[in-house]
Amino acid sequence: MSEASNPWTAGGERRVLIAREQLHRASALLTLLLLIVGFAMASPAFFSVNNGLTVLLQTSVIGLLGIGLTLVIITGGIDLSVGSVLALSGVVSAMAVKAGLPVVPAMCCGVLAGAACGAFNGLVITRLRIPPFVATLGMMLIARGLALQLTGATPISQLGAGFGRLGNGALFRVVEMQPNGFPRVVFPGIPYPAILLLVVAIAATYLLRRRQIGRHIYATGSNEEAARLSGVNVDWTKMYAYTMSGALAGLAGNVLMSRLVTAQPSEGVMYELDAIAAAVIGGASLSGGVGTIAGTMIGAFIIGILRNGLNMSGVSAFIQQIVIGLVVIGAVWIDQVRNRR
Amino acid sequence: MARQPLVEMIGIEKHFGGIRAVDGVSLDLYPGEVVGVLGHNGAGKSCLMRILSGAMIPSGGEIRVNGTPVRFAEPNDARAHGIETIYQTLALADHLDAPSNLFLGRELKTRFGNLDDARMLREARAVLARLNPNFKNLRDPVSSLSGGQRQVIAIARAIYFDTKVLIMDEPTAALGPSETAMVADLIRKLQADGIGIFLVSHDMHDVFELCDRVVVMNKGSVVGAHPLAEVSKDDVLSLIVKGALPDGWRPRTLEAAQ
Repeated sequence: MSEASNPWTAGGERRVLIAREQLHRASALLTLLLLIVGFAMASPAFFSVNNGLTVLLQTSVIGLLGIGLTLVIITGGIDLSVGSVLALSGVVSAMAVKAGLPVVPAMCCGVLAGAACGAFNGLVITRLRIPPFVATLGMMLIARGLALQLTGATPISQLGAGFGRLGNGALFRVVEMQPNGFPRVVFPGIPYPAILLLVVAIAATYLLRRRQIGRHIYATGSNEEAARLSGVNVDWTKMYAYTMSGALAGLAGNVLMSRLVTAQPSEGVMYELDAIAAAVIGGASLSGGVGTIAGTMIGAFIIGILRNGLNMSGVSAFIQQIVIGLVVIGAVWIDQVRNRR
Repeated sequence: MARQPLVEMIGIEKHFGGIRAVDGVSLDLYPGEVVGVLGHNGAGKSCLMRILSGAMIPSGGEIRVNGTPVRFAEPNDARAHGIETIYQTLALADHLDAPSNLFLGRELKTRFGNLDDARMLREARAVLARLNPNFKNLRDPVSSLSGGQRQVIAIARAIYFDTKVLIMDEPTAALGPSETAMVADLIRKLQADGIGIFLVSHDMHDVFELCDRVVVMNKGSVVGAHPLAEVSKDDVLSLIVKGALPDGWRPRTLEAAQ
């Protein structure tokens, strides 16, 4: 019997497949809601506009890193260097400011430094044929070492108010002067980092869904040999993904350092793991070919809310590490189970 | 012969270290001709076909298309000359749907450079319906499709574009009887359209049913190239296994004439 003449077999499998995808997305969203409800009950301060905006602010850094990692993970790779690249980019921006550059060009220098690190990753992976895990592990050490060497391991501070605007500013901030002369914040505004995250997330979704390079990113991760034989420039596609990941790490670094108004060369240690966890919780498969920006955003908020909520409920930093560690294992385990089926 | 061959491969070599996978092979293909390429696993026939499809760069030799020397650095170069390949592995990206696979590497775009998914779906529906009218679930990832449907996508991808030469690597190995018959019909139809076909196959039945000529490779060299009328299945088997024709062989056509 020819299977092709039986549309029901394939139709049935399709329903299962779509249901599975939706189930994963729904379960991630449900987890997010449960976390919010749980923390709101544990601590009344959690469920407030102010704390909501804080979470938004904190999540934006992980979210930006997560978007870059999603691109890389869909190609079937991994980028362990984003935490270090984030620190290096922040340091480069700060040094550019200190060298007398205006803030915006200085920050562009930082983002470019991040993109350069990403491009280096891409070159090592595509030209030297070194596995992404090893290549980006190397870059993780190189970028961190560079950041520490350039600064002599001391933070760069006194960068001026302009440098802090990206991380601390907000849109639609409403402040009114009270009769006693003190200002009162009516609405704290939408933080710039959150707006930046939204813009980047929409741009990345557009890239993956509607542009040729996005299609090629999925194809490369799904079946690299097939993509190559179909005329996809696999090396260029990977270069693109790693360079984007580096650039977004640079952007995240600028957001973070701007928020602190200080460039900390030791900032961002282990951020890559949060970002990877965000992508995997959001449904990206470490074996490639699968993943969405929307999913990664949900994942980033799960991590962000988990951290914030545990802080608000007074859980110690040590316990937090244990919880996040378990979440990472759990997320990768879910990924494994999904692939086994 | 006055006709111009579609493709000529002249003295093609491919070395891997000290191993000569393809050793000075020359081969040609005329419009509307089906040439069977046979040989053991590792005889070099896949290598040769990969060189022609641009997936592998030869160490030496020349490829001519319509008499003009060409150089293929990547599969798209060969495709630009109308040389399409159906790989044995089908070369499909499992997570993408049928239209995405059909147009992979050659996506249709709108004026603004966005992917034109609606048009790709329409075109894919039209070409797939011609090969298999039951093909309805076009938006599913191809991993969820049956072997026959996957094969149909791989074939559609090779014939949708302006194809002049088609390389088919074991096109019927994964197929049931009815689908094999469909592929055979298709080969005859393409042949009538003047497309030249290289058919790599182990299936002697397919070869004798469809081919005009057979080329047998052994240890990287061509050990025999004969019009099908000259040889019997036993002759071809002997070429594959021994690398030589049976002792005292004479062309069947001559024997018949006597």
